[in-house]
Amino acid sequence: MGLVVGSNPMSMDAIAMVLVERFGADLEDVRIQEPDTVVARVAREKLRDVAARLKADPEVGYETLNWVAGVDRRTALESVYHVYSWKTNTWIELHVTVPKAKAEVDTVCDIWPAADWHEREAWDMVGIRFIGHPDLRRILLKDDFVGHPLRKDYVDLAENHPHV
Amino acid sequence: MYDHFETPEPDEAVKLALRRIDEATARGEGSDLGGLEFNEVVVNMGPQHPSTHGVLRLVVTLDGELVKDVIPVIGYLHRCKEKLAERRTYFQYIPIVDRTEYLASINCEWAYVMAVEKLAGMQVTRRAEFIRVITGELMRIASHLVAVGTFTADLSPLGTAMVFYMFRDREIILDLMEELTGARMMFNYYRFGGVRYDLPDGWVERCRDFLKMFPKQIKEYEALVDTNAVFLQRTQGKGVITQQDVVDYGITGPNARASGIDLDLRRHRPYSVYPELDFDIITAQHGDIFDRYRCRMDEMRESLKIVEQCLDMLPNGPVQLGSLRAPYVITPPPGSVYVGQENPRGEYGTYIESDGSRYPYRLKFRDPCFCNLQLFPKLLSGNKIADAVAISGSIDLVLGGIDR
Repeated sequence: MGLVVGSNPMSMDAIAMVLVERFGADLEDVRIQEPDTVVARVAREKLRDVAARLKADPEVGYETLNWVAGVDRRTALESVYHVYSWKTNTWIELHVTVPKAKAEVDTVCDIWPAADWHEREAWDMVGIRFIGHPDLRRILLKDDFVGHPLRKDYVDLAENHPHV
Repeated sequence: MYDHFETPEPDEAVKLALRRIDEATARGEGSDLGGLEFNEVVVNMGPQHPSTHGVLRLVVTLDGELVKDVIPVIGYLHRCKEKLAERRTYFQYIPIVDRTEYLASINCEWAYVMAVEKLAGMQVTRRAEFIRVITGELMRIASHLVAVGTFTADLSPLGTAMVFYMFRDREIILDLMEELTGARMMFNYYRFGGVRYDLPDGWVERCRDFLKMFPKQIKEYEALVDTNAVFLQRTQGKGVITQQDVVDYGITGPNARASGIDLDLRRHRPYSVYPELDFDIITAQHGDIFDRYRCRMDEMRESLKIVEQCLDMLPNGPVQLGSLRAPYVITPPPGSVYVGQENPRGEYGTYIESDGSRYPYRLKFRDPCFCNLQLFPKLLSGNKIADAVAISGSIDLVLGGIDR
């Protein structure tokens, strides 16, 4: 198997068109973030469905998950998936809004294996719980750490650090 | 007398390893040799193990000499880089980026500075672009020297000679960098729109001296290692990364190129002046340890080629925008940006979200080693423990980048 990068090059507009045409019904919003990113907003419930279809798409085929980031938007949390397509040599971002009251979203671990650690990091830092993740432990912080430090309302209390 | 040496409570990773053994035994997959109730032993490798190059901890389940299962534990070098970014201006954060991946710190700085420039829509002066490529490629050579040197040192006594030779040559690069930036490893050299200082007098000549000397050294190293029977036996056909692994886990850099994938961001998402330069992307076919080593050696040659071209083409002009002072306070418009940059170890990405203030709203690093390390359980399982050490050396991890 000879994997060639960029065998089917496409412009940003063309990518956005493909997304609107084939996934339009499942996406809440598609926009072009200057200078070079197509951002698609997905509902929580449809994430797994969209992810599996994006990966399997014969023309664009977003086969590699590059990273996942949790972002605190103050009113809600957001899970950002950055996926890469070898065929078109482009990337898109999937944004999923996660309400703070029930900070849960389905895992995409089984679709993109790379999501494993990135989801653990998002759980560790921002506190998004990925439902169905096989091993959702903290990854960068110690096991008994209290709180999720990249939340904007995180307060670092001395009693959370008994060893120091 | 030894009362205080109590067996510590196993932590989450060890508990997980023990649980997996129990599950495997329950499924009837445990290796019950000679009627023993169990044969598998959970061993902690690291975080202070000499062969893990930093504070990587591997919880390894061993069946005799065979590695059954690996659980990497990271975070021992976590310094809250992403949290720190929220309380610092864009300018104040540059020296902190240096300290993420400390072996190729200037490349990390480059990725960060490039992301901010893209977010704020700033241009870089042309002379500064060339200086950035020169320094970036010199550090790529320095980083590969450490990678190959320490990896061969893990393999055999022969490598202990290699590692000293390679650190000797790296010292020349670090001296060049010190002359230019004032620091040996934590440079704090790039600025938004340019670099901090212009090249000092005579630097170009000294750099050319290095370019003239170094190809001979590479040949010497290859003569030492490439035909060595012990080295070949320990590296060929071991620790194979398949192309499917590369796609699944987002492996980048020399590790991906050794598997025959010609992904190089300098070519495929061109930045700076790379489109004007003539260089090859080094690939290999098998994806084993030996190919990863070969890729790094050949990439050093390509880097030399790039530096030489840049020195020839180096234009005159300012190295910073406008006045002599760098723009200390910048307020990019609201929005987000992602920049991937070809670090010696793969794609080093910087994702910045701005809310229009002086501080980044959210900053995330996509570290190549973090993604490469994720493959470890798959890559090491089924190998002998000694090979596991060789494989983990050939992946070239820097824990400063992984833990951030």
